[in-house]
Amino acid sequence: MIQIYRLSKSFGTNIVLDNIGLRIRRGEFVFITGPSGAGKTTFLRLIFGSERPASGQILINGINLTRIRKPNLDLLRRKIGFVFQDFKLLNNKTVYQNVALALEVTGERPTIIRKKVHQALRAVNLAKKQKAYPLQLSGGEQQRVAIARAIINDPLILIADEPTGNLDPDITREIILLFRSINLRGTTVVIATHSRELLRDTGQRIIALNQGKITEEIRE
Amino acid sequence: MISMGTITISMLLLGSFMLLSVNLNNWLKEWGEGLTMSVYLEDGIDEKDKQNIEKKLLNIQGADIKGFISKEQAMIHLKESLGAQSGLLDGLKMNPLPSSFELVFKEVDDPGIDPRQIKGSLEEMEGVDEVQYSEQWIERFEGVMFVFRVVGFIIGGLLCIAVLFITANTIKLAIYSRRDEIEIYKLVGATDSFIKIPFLIEGAIQGILSGLAAFIILFFVYLVFSEKTVHLLGLPVIEIAFLSFKNALFVVLLSLSLGFTGALIAIGRFFKA
Repeated sequence: MIQIYRLSKSFGTNIVLDNIGLRIRRGEFVFITGPSGAGKTTFLRLIFGSERPASGQILINGINLTRIRKPNLDLLRRKIGFVFQDFKLLNNKTVYQNVALALEVTGERPTIIRKKVHQALRAVNLAKKQKAYPLQLSGGEQQRVAIARAIINDPLILIADEPTGNLDPDITREIILLFRSINLRGTTVVIATHSRELLRDTGQRIIALNQGKITEEIRE
Repeated sequence: MISMGTITISMLLLGSFMLLSVNLNNWLKEWGEGLTMSVYLEDGIDEKDKQNIEKKLLNIQGADIKGFISKEQAMIHLKESLGAQSGLLDGLKMNPLPSSFELVFKEVDDPGIDPRQIKGSLEEMEGVDEVQYSEQWIERFEGVMFVFRVVGFIIGGLLCIAVLFITANTIKLAIYSRRDEIEIYKLVGATDSFIKIPFLIEGAIQGILSGLAAFIILFFVYLVFSEKTVHLLGLPVIEIAFLSFKNALFVVLLSLSLGFTGALIAIGRFFKA
């Protein structure tokens, strides 16, 4: 699903990723870990196509991201869900509208949008909060809205950057369980985290980054 | 709202300038009506030639025959103008003054009117002795009109550029204030055109509404300073014209295109950044 060959990225003289090679299979659940500044976020942004590598190749489902044209990248992004630590919700739109956004940009018909938004909100257990605004929700609920938005297009890959960074341990467990249930439906999940707590007894594949290099890899 | 206010003020400036131009142009045209041309006829001209000349004069575009001055009337006018010294003319045995047609031009700045060419063609006619008009006056008038047009073009052009610059920057600020929203749209796979089109429509709508608002404000300002109000205040009556339908439509359409172009420039810069 994700193939990475000799990937390097630097910002000015600062080398963020250095000659990374990696393969993530379809349906895998992978944690990317490492201290702050290890290159986790840059790694995810490269997979998402919002950063261009200095050198190396990234293949998503056989499509080479380093050669893709902008319109095709937009279309590919519809097949990659992205969840952020700060949720990235529009506070002036309701939960329903925030989730529907990801389908509206595809030009989907309103009847289909309605049906799929309800399904996604049920999947994250927020069906009753569809008319609420993000600021009326707790942190955990806001993150679940962001997850609903990320999965509504049935993505091939779900990427999450520190998705539990702002949440307490109980809610963190709940969110991770939600990611696992999404993964069980066949979606490849890649989560970046620096939380050791989150990785304890996870039983999933863990890739540790430090100073732009893969320093350790634990397979399930 | 801020961008609409800014565009409205800019268009108000442009509209005011247009109103000033229209009125200055009208006043200059009125002044231009002062051009007269004298067509002096030969002594003893027969009636047929005189009729031909009159017919030719009636066909001149933009000119009217102000009157025919016979030899006798010309002498009376001369005596009147000489006043106390008119006695000098008493010694004359015959009237040396020619009869003439007096022409008046309505629109001297009309490019179809060329006094030099009219003079030449009239002087070739049978029975015409000489044609006179004030070349110096024409040159001065044409000079003033030329300066007026050049200055108008430069100021109007500069104002348009300023409005475009203000509009682009105002819309850019509006776009920047919504950059989080744009970022989220990009994250969920929105194409550039999906994001850009609403901003362009918004720019065009803002442009047209601002143009209409500027037009309405300008109209009320005009009403306050129009003839009646000036008259009521006991001031001398000044003829102030308002923008014609064409000019008003031009202000609104210009505003629309400036709003649209401003949005296009702003969103282009934003996406480039």
